[in-house]
Amino acid sequence: MSVSERSPAAAGNGESNALARSYREAFRRNAPGYLFLAPWLIGFFCLTLGPALGSLYLSLTDFDLLQTPNFVGLQNYVRMATADPKFVSAMRVTFLYVVLSMPLKLGFALAVAMMLNRGLKGLPIYRAVFYLPSLLGASVAIAVLWRQLFAADGMVNSMLAIIGIEGPSWISNPRYSLYTLVVLSVWQFGSPMIIFLAGLRQIPTDMYEAASLDGASASRQFWKITLPLLSPVIFFNFVIQTIEAFKAFTPAFIVSGGTGGPINSTLFYTLYLYQEAFGNFRMGYASALAWVLVIIIAIFTAFSFLSTRYWVHYDE
Amino acid sequence: MSTSIQLRKVVKRFEALEVIKGVDLDIEPGKFTVFVGPSGCGKSTLLRMIAGLESITGGDLHIGGQKMNDVAAAKRGIAMVFQSYALYPHMTVYKNLAFGLETAGVRRDEIDRRVREAAETLRITEYLPRRPKALSGGQRQRVAIGRSIVRDPNIFLFDEPLSNLDAELRVQMRVEISKLHERLGNTMIYVTHDQVEAMTMADTIVVLRGGEVMQVGSPLELYNRPANRFVAGFIGSPKMNFLEAARVATDAIDVAGQAIQLEPYQLGRCPAETPITFGIRPEHIVLGGEVGQALGEARVDLVEHLGGSTSVYATMPSGASLTVLAPGQLSIRHGETVPLRFDAANCHAFGPDDQTLRN
Amino acid sequence: MSNEAHALPGQASDHPYLRSAILHCLLIAASFVMLYPILWMLAGSLRPAEDLFGGGASLIPSQVTIRAYTQGWFGVQMSFGRFFLNSLLIATLATLGNVFAASLAAYAFARLNFVGRKFWFALMLGTLMLPYHVTLIPQYVLFQNLGWVNTWLPLIVPKYFAVDAFFIFLMVQFFRGIPRELDEAAQMDGCSPWRIYYKVMLPLSLPVLATAAIFSFIWTWEDFFGPLIYVSDMNLYTVQLGLRSFIDSSGTSSWNELFAMSVLSLIPIFLIFLFFQRLLIEGIATTGMKR
Repeated sequence: MSVSERSPAAAGNGESNALARSYREAFRRNAPGYLFLAPWLIGFFCLTLGPALGSLYLSLTDFDLLQTPNFVGLQNYVRMATADPKFVSAMRVTFLYVVLSMPLKLGFALAVAMMLNRGLKGLPIYRAVFYLPSLLGASVAIAVLWRQLFAADGMVNSMLAIIGIEGPSWISNPRYSLYTLVVLSVWQFGSPMIIFLAGLRQIPTDMYEAASLDGASASRQFWKITLPLLSPVIFFNFVIQTIEAFKAFTPAFIVSGGTGGPINSTLFYTLYLYQEAFGNFRMGYASALAWVLVIIIAIFTAFSFLSTRYWVHYDE
Repeated sequence: MSTSIQLRKVVKRFEALEVIKGVDLDIEPGKFTVFVGPSGCGKSTLLRMIAGLESITGGDLHIGGQKMNDVAAAKRGIAMVFQSYALYPHMTVYKNLAFGLETAGVRRDEIDRRVREAAETLRITEYLPRRPKALSGGQRQRVAIGRSIVRDPNIFLFDEPLSNLDAELRVQMRVEISKLHERLGNTMIYVTHDQVEAMTMADTIVVLRGGEVMQVGSPLELYNRPANRFVAGFIGSPKMNFLEAARVATDAIDVAGQAIQLEPYQLGRCPAETPITFGIRPEHIVLGGEVGQALGEARVDLVEHLGGSTSVYATMPSGASLTVLAPGQLSIRHGETVPLRFDAANCHAFGPDDQTLRN
Repeated sequence: MSNEAHALPGQASDHPYLRSAILHCLLIAASFVMLYPILWMLAGSLRPAEDLFGGGASLIPSQVTIRAYTQGWFGVQMSFGRFFLNSLLIATLATLGNVFAASLAAYAFARLNFVGRKFWFALMLGTLMLPYHVTLIPQYVLFQNLGWVNTWLPLIVPKYFAVDAFFIFLMVQFFRGIPRELDEAAQMDGCSPWRIYYKVMLPLSLPVLATAAIFSFIWTWEDFFGPLIYVSDMNLYTVQLGLRSFIDSSGTSSWNELFAMSVLSLIPIFLIFLFFQRLLIEGIATTGMKR
């Protein structure tokens, strides 16, 4: 290892030597990190950042996949805001879906997690059963199943018939179709439940014991101990699940046969985006839709974070 | 087989924070050197810089006369034993010992010979097929040492290797490491925060504080002639007593009204009337009797009977507290007032800059 | 369990046995509700076609037959065997890519020192939140220009560039838990970063690699959107696309065959779930992400 080949006598070009040495040294120190990171870096630039900027540009054009895009300024965004009733209804459907499914899903998740967090026997079995729908839920098979469950002659109506109620055709009735998808979403409360369970386990039991000794009732313990200490987890679940809900696609596509019908009642935002991009080949407009989705998610996330100081309790 | 190490103005900076502030050090070949100091003093960082695990921000590191600043850790001829042992949990003991040699591309039969030899030396042969998980703390410690032995390094580094063991095992391993050094004769550097380990094992102790070397010397040198107040307080247990004092003559100081005669050389060139610190070890104070000179009286706060010796915690009229370690068993009680005496040859004086005044 | 059951309802909370009995009843009822739809689908797939919806909500078929499976297997022009094989290939290749590329990046983020590490790490976390729709169209154009549309490449190749930051994040969390002294010991033993990665890091990370592999496999298997966009040749269809074209070609007339194929499409996921449940649940609990 003859790194010390430089003798102090060679002070003449010592400075440039030192410079070269420091470059070599910097290379030696940084090269392994960047080599290991190389696949991700390539992916990041070519498949994430590049395309994201590309779609930002395309959103300002009338790109249709075949001809070179013409720059149209903010026309796509203006059309969205003023002249696209389908966009408005997709927005309405998506927000309704999020607003309805999120509290129910998280509520169930928390309630079941608290029931499971009592040192019951058979916890792994219950946990597995409740988690299974979350794991299967995204597949086409489950969407297919949902279609049949809520069909005019499906399982739900057969059950209702037993108690003498003639149910509507849930799927093909625009008044109800969205609710079937809300139920599907709530049915998959398993993964937030597991996160809640992990969070509940972090709360030291002696805190509850101390509270019981102080005579705090169960509901008081829930409001004064469980909720505040769990609030970071609740916040986390809320943000992640909401973003996932905004991105939901498969169930709406399968249940409505790709149309978002009946009468746009299941036209999820992403489904509309898909139709515009790959059905009508309005790629420019679809790109604008994608960026609006990003902005909605960003605003939602920002507000969620801003709200944390009013209700999320952190240690330290 | 023994190799010298020189550090010249070695500096380590983590961003703006300078943790090693220009250390100059000569480590003699074949010596057992201990870096000791309180936590955060930079002793581990210094060791890791020698090992090549931390880069050197400034200054030069020479090992065996060659500059090693930018040489990769594995090429410095160094082996290191880590505090947590850092045994590979997914490999058997045999594989743990062999791994470095395999990496270096040593022939298989040669690896086998060296692994078995090292295992023999450390009496871990029967554990070779086991995983580290199945070993006790002491056995893991041996494996960790074995892993460094097989590589036949010029220099051994130990980073607080005994701190995870219980007290009894610690004493036992201390002896074993010392014996190992005797037999192998390699240069060894050992980091610890425990001054007892330092005193018992070292040929040379390097006391560090805040990234600077406070003193280098043999254990007894540090005990007898500490260079400054920090070393005086750090080496020896119980800690040296420090009392505020002032110089009143070339050969006399005043400790809370009590005049004390010292040899002039013990006070060095410090001007009169300067506030100084008077230091005396607990074992050098005598309760009563006629030897030496008087230090004054103190009221006993607490007595600890250790059997072979007795520790007395007392307070002087000035309010200064003091520890006395007396041999044998004393029948002193809490609340009593006892006269204190000492021999001037055993005392130390430190200037306002905390340096020893001695000429 | 029942020796305390005579307690008055008002005192339920004072009797742990009774309380846990009530809890168990509630949870068993809830489990039943949760599983009912899946069991109903399973039962439906075993019913004869004439039964149609005559079975109603019942879970017990009037007679059990596997005809729906044998007929459904060839329900579209192509055998479902083909779709299963395709899905298996795609999911396996994608999984390999994900685990490989993500573990490389995670090792760099967790262990190596280089200029800009924090910056790239923050960007990587940022992509976790980014909806894929934003990259969708330019990616499509890119793959079209490469001639990859109507092949599997767009479904597989990106995984070799660690585009799903979730897996990197998962592994970084795990790698950080491995004592750094092991790396340093390996460094002293003369290992290059590469050798530390595959001789020390990877063997010690088998649990997280398995977790990542399982999630990756399941998500690729279930992926509908990707194949929907990129694959149009039926020879290349995945199971999910096969199911979709089954609906389109037969409507609801042969619903029991559709159910049979749906059940089959869930079986791989279910088996993975059965065997690796613990890894899946720990994976979710530690990163707290996604489904």
